[in-house]
Amino acid sequence: MSKRSMVLMVLLVSAAAVVFAGGSKETAAPAEDAPLKVALILSGPANDQGWNAVALQGLTEAAEAYGIETAYSEHIGIADSEAAFNDYASQGYDLVIGHGFQYGEPAVRVGKRFPDTKFLAIEGASYSENTASYVIACEEAGYLMGRLAAAMSQTGRIGIVGGFEQPSIIKVVEAYRLGAKDYDPEIKVSSVYIGSFTDVALGKEAALAMADQGADVLSHIANQAGTGVIIAAQERGLLSTGDSWDQSVIAPEAVVCSTIYSVPALIMSAVEKVQNGTFEGGIFNLGMSSGVVDIAPYHEFSTRVPQDVQDSIEELKEQITSGDLKIPLIEKSSGQ
Amino acid sequence: MSPAIELVNTLQTFLTASVRMAVPLVLAGLGETYSEKSGILNIGLEGIMLFGAFASFITAHLTNSIPLGLAAGMTAGCLIALLHAFMSITCRADQTVSGLSINFLVSGLTSYLFLMIFGKTTTLPVCPTVSEHAVPLLSKLPIIGPALFEQNGFVYFTMAAVLISWILFYRTEWGVILHAAGEHPQAADSAGLNVSAIRYGAAAVNGMLTGLAGSYLTLSLLGFFLENLTSGKGYIALAVVILGRRDPKGVLLAGLLIGAADALQFRIQASGSAIPSQVFIMFPYVITVAVLLFSIGRSSEPAALGKPFVRSRR
Repeated sequence: MSKRSMVLMVLLVSAAAVVFAGGSKETAAPAEDAPLKVALILSGPANDQGWNAVALQGLTEAAEAYGIETAYSEHIGIADSEAAFNDYASQGYDLVIGHGFQYGEPAVRVGKRFPDTKFLAIEGASYSENTASYVIACEEAGYLMGRLAAAMSQTGRIGIVGGFEQPSIIKVVEAYRLGAKDYDPEIKVSSVYIGSFTDVALGKEAALAMADQGADVLSHIANQAGTGVIIAAQERGLLSTGDSWDQSVIAPEAVVCSTIYSVPALIMSAVEKVQNGTFEGGIFNLGMSSGVVDIAPYHEFSTRVPQDVQDSIEELKEQITSGDLKIPLIEKSSGQ
Repeated sequence: MSPAIELVNTLQTFLTASVRMAVPLVLAGLGETYSEKSGILNIGLEGIMLFGAFASFITAHLTNSIPLGLAAGMTAGCLIALLHAFMSITCRADQTVSGLSINFLVSGLTSYLFLMIFGKTTTLPVCPTVSEHAVPLLSKLPIIGPALFEQNGFVYFTMAAVLISWILFYRTEWGVILHAAGEHPQAADSAGLNVSAIRYGAAAVNGMLTGLAGSYLTLSLLGFFLENLTSGKGYIALAVVILGRRDPKGVLLAGLLIGAADALQFRIQASGSAIPSQVFIMFPYVITVAVLLFSIGRSSEPAALGKPFVRSRR
């Protein structure tokens, strides 16, 4: 074959590829009776007993309730996120969910290429016509945890370990600080960011550093790494608060209470909207009033947390739910 | 509390934390030192450590026995290191590539096995952890007493291993043989030494020590296992080896330096400072780079490091 005909062949093949790829995009639009296809992208392992576990639980619940077809990917770093969105969108998924702040921008970028596909970034800060960011008002529960931790502290010093210093984490740390100071203006609140959501050893070490300085309630907002914080509190005979789900089971003697982010409710509502065709782009804040944020029962601590503290927490929770009390959103570290 | 007592307490807890974080780095670094002195570059430390951590955890979880957990961790580490040795010595594969492939293999394998055995649970499966034993008198020393002598067996073993390795490397014939295999394998071969056997032996020691570093994470530090538990500690241990110039004393100091850098950054952050946390998170790495910069030109790399030994080739 001559060089010229080779070039011609290559050109023909690429032209065919473009035409067929374009064609497959057309057929990616959902058929009327085919089940809805929903994909989930996770930053860590799906069995981290925290942030990612609840997302997968939400997807499973939605699959049972709506009979949708689902898929998920674990350990998707920021560098791979655009490719992951692209893959699912080109495979004809109707809704692709990125579970974390960092997936907002990639979702918007890929969204431009797939106008018929819906994209959702949980905790994101970006949106477009077909991309929405559902922001969980985690700060509402974080505020209550701060108050509770301050009330349970004997030493007048409490601490919270954060994963990365990014807006979705800072807002909880700062709300925690605010809640603690509202309960007791004199209290000292330490905060440490460890730069990881998965390194449990680092999480534990950061918590021990705060315990060494006299903190007696150790909280966290660090996904899997936070398990190390709870274990540190248990080992030192101190108290802890859980995050994302009812973490009392990890150390019933240490975990006073946990924040609960009902990611299942969030994912269910997104799936429902896509199903009804009411899904739209934008940034939506969902908190206690939408049933997405809550706090766990006290379990072992139902008798150890003073009744007046329990009552005041309950009252504040009602005020937040009704909208009478607005927890400020602070996304810049105060470092105090 | 008087300020003086408070200062002593702060120093004590800081040193204890530094030692706690240094142990896995020193153990794995020491193991890699054996391997590299014999001429085998094993960058699969991360995988070996992770497999050791997993094997220790699963054994201790099922049998409730710490000695069995330790044995399992060392055996598992040894097996993975021998796999690497087989690929690099017998198959003469590229040692960097086979080391990397081990990291990926073990990361996937442990996650898969963990998922197979425990499923997606919310309860945290736990295993027993070793307890601390204070050394009489020595643990009462001010400041360094609690950090060095009120610890668990892992810490004492690490100190002993550093000393024994130093004697072995520089005061015994075994040390000469080990260095010969890594510096000039052809000469060692002419002298009647079995280079492959020496390298396999060094790899096995590396596997046991690095597997033990993994056991330390599950059986001492945490008491549980989660996916990818080592989170890059194996890679930091590689930096410790270079920083410590493949000398047991140096590896110990380098491990302590990086452990102390982490312990320090948490303490500064927790006392409240206006400096962004990212600066602190970089801290251990900045120290590593700085020390490496100042030690340029004083490389101690074995001459035959990373090169497969082919007997017939001169």
